[in-house]
Amino acid sequence: MTAPVLQVKDLKTQFFTDDGVVKAVDGVSFDLHPGETLGIVGESGCGKSVTALSILRLVQEPGRITNGQILFKGTDIVTMPDDDVRDIRGKDIAMIFQDPLSSLNPVLKVGYQIEEAMEAHTRISGKVALSRAIQLLKQVRIPAAESRVEDYPHQFSGGMRQRAMIAMGLANKPSILIADEPTTALDVTVQAQILELLRDLNQETKTAIILITHNMGVVAGLCKRVLVMYAGRIVEQGPVEQIFHDPQHPYTWSLLQSIPRLDADRKDRLLSIEGLPPDLIKPPSGCRFHPRCRFRIERCFHDDPSLMDVGPDQAAACWVTMRRALAQDGQARA
Amino acid sequence: MVKRVPDRVPLLRAEEVVKHFPAGLGASVKAVERVNFEIYPGETVGLVGESGCGKSTLGRLITQLLPVTSGNIFFEGVDLTKLGGEKLRQKRRELQMIFQDPYSSLNPRMTVGDIIAEPLENFGLLRGRAKDKRVQELLKIVGLNPYFNNRYPHEFSGGQRQRIGIARALALRPKLIVADEPISALDVSIQAQIINLMEDLQKEFQLTYLFIAHDLSVVRHISDRVMVMYLGKIVEVADSAEIYRNPRHPYTKALLSAIPIPDPDIQAKRRIVHLSGEISSPVNPPSGCRFHPRCPIAQVPTPCADLEPPLEEKARDHRAACHFSEKVPVAV
Repeated sequence: MTAPVLQVKDLKTQFFTDDGVVKAVDGVSFDLHPGETLGIVGESGCGKSVTALSILRLVQEPGRITNGQILFKGTDIVTMPDDDVRDIRGKDIAMIFQDPLSSLNPVLKVGYQIEEAMEAHTRISGKVALSRAIQLLKQVRIPAAESRVEDYPHQFSGGMRQRAMIAMGLANKPSILIADEPTTALDVTVQAQILELLRDLNQETKTAIILITHNMGVVAGLCKRVLVMYAGRIVEQGPVEQIFHDPQHPYTWSLLQSIPRLDADRKDRLLSIEGLPPDLIKPPSGCRFHPRCRFRIERCFHDDPSLMDVGPDQAAACWVTMRRALAQDGQARA
Repeated sequence: MVKRVPDRVPLLRAEEVVKHFPAGLGASVKAVERVNFEIYPGETVGLVGESGCGKSTLGRLITQLLPVTSGNIFFEGVDLTKLGGEKLRQKRRELQMIFQDPYSSLNPRMTVGDIIAEPLENFGLLRGRAKDKRVQELLKIVGLNPYFNNRYPHEFSGGQRQRIGIARALALRPKLIVADEPISALDVSIQAQIINLMEDLQKEFQLTYLFIAHDLSVVRHISDRVMVMYLGKIVEVADSAEIYRNPRHPYTKALLSAIPIPDPDIQAKRRIVHLSGEISSPVNPPSGCRFHPRCPIAQVPTPCADLEPPLEEKARDHRAACHFSEKVPVAV
């Protein structure tokens, strides 16, 4: 396997608030390989977006990266001078956000904003920039790109704005594109088109994609590998087929059981995860999921599990794991 | 699950309901255009469609939070659009609403107890100890601690707030609850809690729901029947299993194909039905079938661009508004 383009090692990002220290990301490690599609899933407040912002050193006060390394092609972003980080942002690692309308400047033409993204990193003539902007809009399948390049953001629909954001992200041929909930604000038919576009672009340009989402279905459609986060930690990681067909962490398993599926027989009841996600100022002792876990054992209350191998390339931070939990469940029922 | 008996009397019947909003210079937004449907006692009807299709407006027309431009809405045989003042107010006791955003739909300056008691007070139903008891009972019914009645909304999470909104809707023992996107603002692990709660309450209190949502998988799970809306019109109505197995409108088909299924193998095999262009403007909707400019099987100009297809029975209890409904491919 090729060397990872990005290595995150024991990342901790904390927010120093008046109420206490919020441990938003608490010891996250993962690798991203060139051209890979990696999904980070979890609910609001699990630390998925803060992880993404940390990678680009965009975490704002009162937040701070307090520990760990983020190695981009071997160089640590965490300790890099500001100017060097600015060189990487938008050039080597680009990011797109949930709400394309608030990410675009309403008083500047879409084409100009794409050109700006290029000019920030390379010296090119206006003419070249314009033709490249048109080419990028074509690449993200905006019809009549030659005239659309002169439009303002309000003249674009929601889906087209997100396409324009993607075009801007790809302007400097980055090695990594981080997409933070890129389809959450869009209608389902538009969401499907944007996901298809990201999938195609990943294959055409070999840009690695980190997709951050709360939607398991979106991950299933785009990503090859997935990290499941809960309360600032990765609780399970592995190839997407493994995670969806044979999840080993009770949180992953419960999450998959709790969503109504279009293709399932209509069941009478959904499995619900009782309780609420924990307070990250004072996270629970032991395993952070134990207060909500239906398979917990005595050890889970005081002993914090770290990621352990549970299958080929698959790891889960759980003392029980679903294999054992379901086997015991079967025994109890028999 | 409650099954529809065809000759049963509907709890609610909408006839040729129209809602236009003025859009300046004599133009108008045609949000809901000649819509007809029934809701039977004890059933859950799902109403789906993408943003701007008119589904929320329709929910507000039914609860008479908005007046209709024309048409009639019969609730237990009484035309709500002809009622006003006190008579309408009394009827509203039986028609309650649950809103999408549990943050903006609860008054932050009122205690939870006062929020839930407000409908009781509005109708002068209970006072003093009896009222407090009923509030505590309602909190218990929705799965909250009855002693939380003195707390304020900000002390609760999104899911708990939605439970408070449900308790308030239940206070007057309504017959019909219109739930407008009740779970879309909630986290995934909390959504199932609210869906299960709504199902339990329906059984316990014989409630009838109109469940409005954009997520067809959630709607299919909770609903007995599903209505699909596009640009102010209902384009398809059927049993929720049937509409998934056998969609008879190309828009329903496209919507179904676009919904992500949390299974990588299935996702890899699925084909998305591409809709060309964007949703048309409701100020100036397309002639004929409103879906024709985006429809993959439309035949223009005739009949799709000049003849509006009626919503008609294509199979038993399955209505669709399409000239070529037999050409909609089966299976997702």
